[in-house]
Amino acid sequence: MTDNAAQIKGVSFRYANGEEGALNGIDLEIRQGECLLLCGGSGCGKTTVTRLLNGLIPHYFEGDMQGEVTVLGKDIRKTSIEELAGSVGSVFQNPRSQFFCVDTTSEIAFGCENLGLPEEEILTRIEKTAKDMDIEKLLGRSIFNLSGGEKQKIACASTAAMLPQLIVLDEPTSNLDLDSIEELKKILLMWKKQGKTIVIAEHRLGWIDGVCDRVLFMQQGSVKEEFSASDFFALTTAQLNGRGLRAVHIQTNYLETKTGMTSLIDFEQRGTIRLENFHYTYADQDAIRIDTLEIPQGSVTAVVGHNGAGKSTLIKCLCGLQKGFKGSTVIGGKRFKPKQMLTLSYMVMQDVNHQLFTDTVLDEVLLSAGSCSEEKAIGLLERLDIAQFRKRHPMSLSGGQKQRTAIASALAADKKLLVFDEPTSGLDYAGMESTAKLIRSLGCDVTVLIVTHDMELIRRCCTHVLHIENGNI
Amino acid sequence: MTGFFSADLNNRGLVLDPRTKLAVMLSLVVFTLGGTGSHIQAVRYAVIALSIVPFALHATAKRYTKTVVLLCLFILVKSAETWLVPRLSGASLSITSVLCMLFVRLMPSLSMGSYMLCSTTVSEFLAAMHRMHIPQQITIPLSVMFRFFPTVTKEFSSINTAMKMRDIRLGGKNAAGLVEYRLVPLMVCSVNIGSELSAAALTRGLGAKVKRTNICKIGFHLPDAVVLVGIVALFTLWILGMNGVVK
Repeated sequence: MTDNAAQIKGVSFRYANGEEGALNGIDLEIRQGECLLLCGGSGCGKTTVTRLLNGLIPHYFEGDMQGEVTVLGKDIRKTSIEELAGSVGSVFQNPRSQFFCVDTTSEIAFGCENLGLPEEEILTRIEKTAKDMDIEKLLGRSIFNLSGGEKQKIACASTAAMLPQLIVLDEPTSNLDLDSIEELKKILLMWKKQGKTIVIAEHRLGWIDGVCDRVLFMQQGSVKEEFSASDFFALTTAQLNGRGLRAVHIQTNYLETKTGMTSLIDFEQRGTIRLENFHYTYADQDAIRIDTLEIPQGSVTAVVGHNGAGKSTLIKCLCGLQKGFKGSTVIGGKRFKPKQMLTLSYMVMQDVNHQLFTDTVLDEVLLSAGSCSEEKAIGLLERLDIAQFRKRHPMSLSGGQKQRTAIASALAADKKLLVFDEPTSGLDYAGMESTAKLIRSLGCDVTVLIVTHDMELIRRCCTHVLHIENGNI
Repeated sequence: MTGFFSADLNNRGLVLDPRTKLAVMLSLVVFTLGGTGSHIQAVRYAVIALSIVPFALHATAKRYTKTVVLLCLFILVKSAETWLVPRLSGASLSITSVLCMLFVRLMPSLSMGSYMLCSTTVSEFLAAMHRMHIPQQITIPLSVMFRFFPTVTKEFSSINTAMKMRDIRLGGKNAAGLVEYRLVPLMVCSVNIGSELSAAALTRGLGAKVKRTNICKIGFHLPDAVVLVGIVALFTLWILGMNGVVK
């Protein structure tokens, strides 16, 4: 056994459908028992490295691969993913697509069952893992009823139950709030104590301070710089941003502001959107109870609060999407029922794929635009910097371009209220910056609400913060 | 929301072995859908009793509204078939009798199907398949498929929400695109999820050559015995009827 948990030697890789190489002659060693952070802008190859380590490349994702990868003493080419499964564990970004079972206990058992372990052994492992991670109360629940943070904990537990030596995490926090990230950090620290080797590919960096030992900065498929953790976390925000990385330290935690509306900058009041009687109860619990709330017209308001605080219910009610909701919205003295709000508001969803329907970008914009002429639509596309794609299929665009297309279609339909649901989850610094710029440029005709955990985004583009907890302001 | 294969473990009433459910399903298909043995009077009465079984199962899982609505519908249509159809003639006869027949034959099986999907977990299903010595090459793709349903349902509802905001609905100005506009995003999302899901499953060792264990406890208990005895009785009746012992 060498001191290295894994070794990547001169590896180049190009995905079968990619034009450029994802990795260009990368060399790296991962030492036994260390925690390594891979960072870099979108498309720098960090996810590809994690896929080399768990065997998804070359066995699942096809492409041209050169060079040698040894993981835990095994040559990756000659070892199937299933054989690696017991020793390399993986946690992925998206909780909705990494669960195989529907209840939590079977999910944790799933990996062990595949290894063919005896039944008693699996039961003991589940019990021990649950105790270690403090998730006993989550056992036996339906996965669909868990919060994002709880789901990610179950994903960690199901990996840990297989007792892997090397654990690979690919953007594990992109759907989590700050509290859940703290919990995840605790789990990583525990793994480190147990002597496991950990590799994390991540955009959000602050939380890893205190966990990782070494940081690799990647660019265009190779390692550009190597830092010790202490050097890396001493970098200034400007130095990080210059490399296309997100800030390490959160300057302002808006969750610490008092609940209710807070204005961040001097804002010239031009009128308000008043929410009245915003009460909504799900079968078993109160979701929101807000009597009145005023949102300045033309403002960009961030909606913050912990998971389960009622943020999504609030915006669903506001957009008229919540069935059975009875409150009303007053804009400029005129009262609107929820159903009428449906025509005035538009929500840009976290997964934009859900809201692009047609086969060219221009059609997409014209689809529900009513009176909007083609010239006006092209003007809008130009304003959003996507006019050159107007003949392309929206699904062939990048994530950010899709987001712009969705916004364009909302503006063309003359929507007065735009709601963004986590617009920057999984975006690097450049992506976040351009989303922030875009939101700022929407101007004062539309009022924008952003539901987000991203404090940097708030600092860059919001005029107000609305903090809700327990369904109340 | 109770979706396919997303049984709520704490609240699902009577627990039957997946194999028992399969047996009920099979006999429903043979006797109600296929209409086997309907010329034998004893079998005909027994089949009515069998048709009620799925509704009763829904009731044990505390889905009372569903049970009552479906049961009332079934009784209504069955009585219409028995008493109304013989009095009709001409076009009204053919339309009513075809509708009644379709409904009476299909509904119990569909209802049983929905109960099976709602009350069985993926692990129970895999365990049952394993006990029946069905090879992994068949069970694994099937289990992936079942895992996929709840996800697609979720995607579908998100897409519906998005469509509402774009005023694409029945009676809206873009009603023509109702189906087309829904399929594109649904397919894109399903493909993405499908490939992510298989990658995740592979890294957790699905498909390894070792013999897979299953911690899920399935087995036959008293309720299974009662149901199975009933089914055996029905088949016996049928065979006896075929040989002219009962009418």
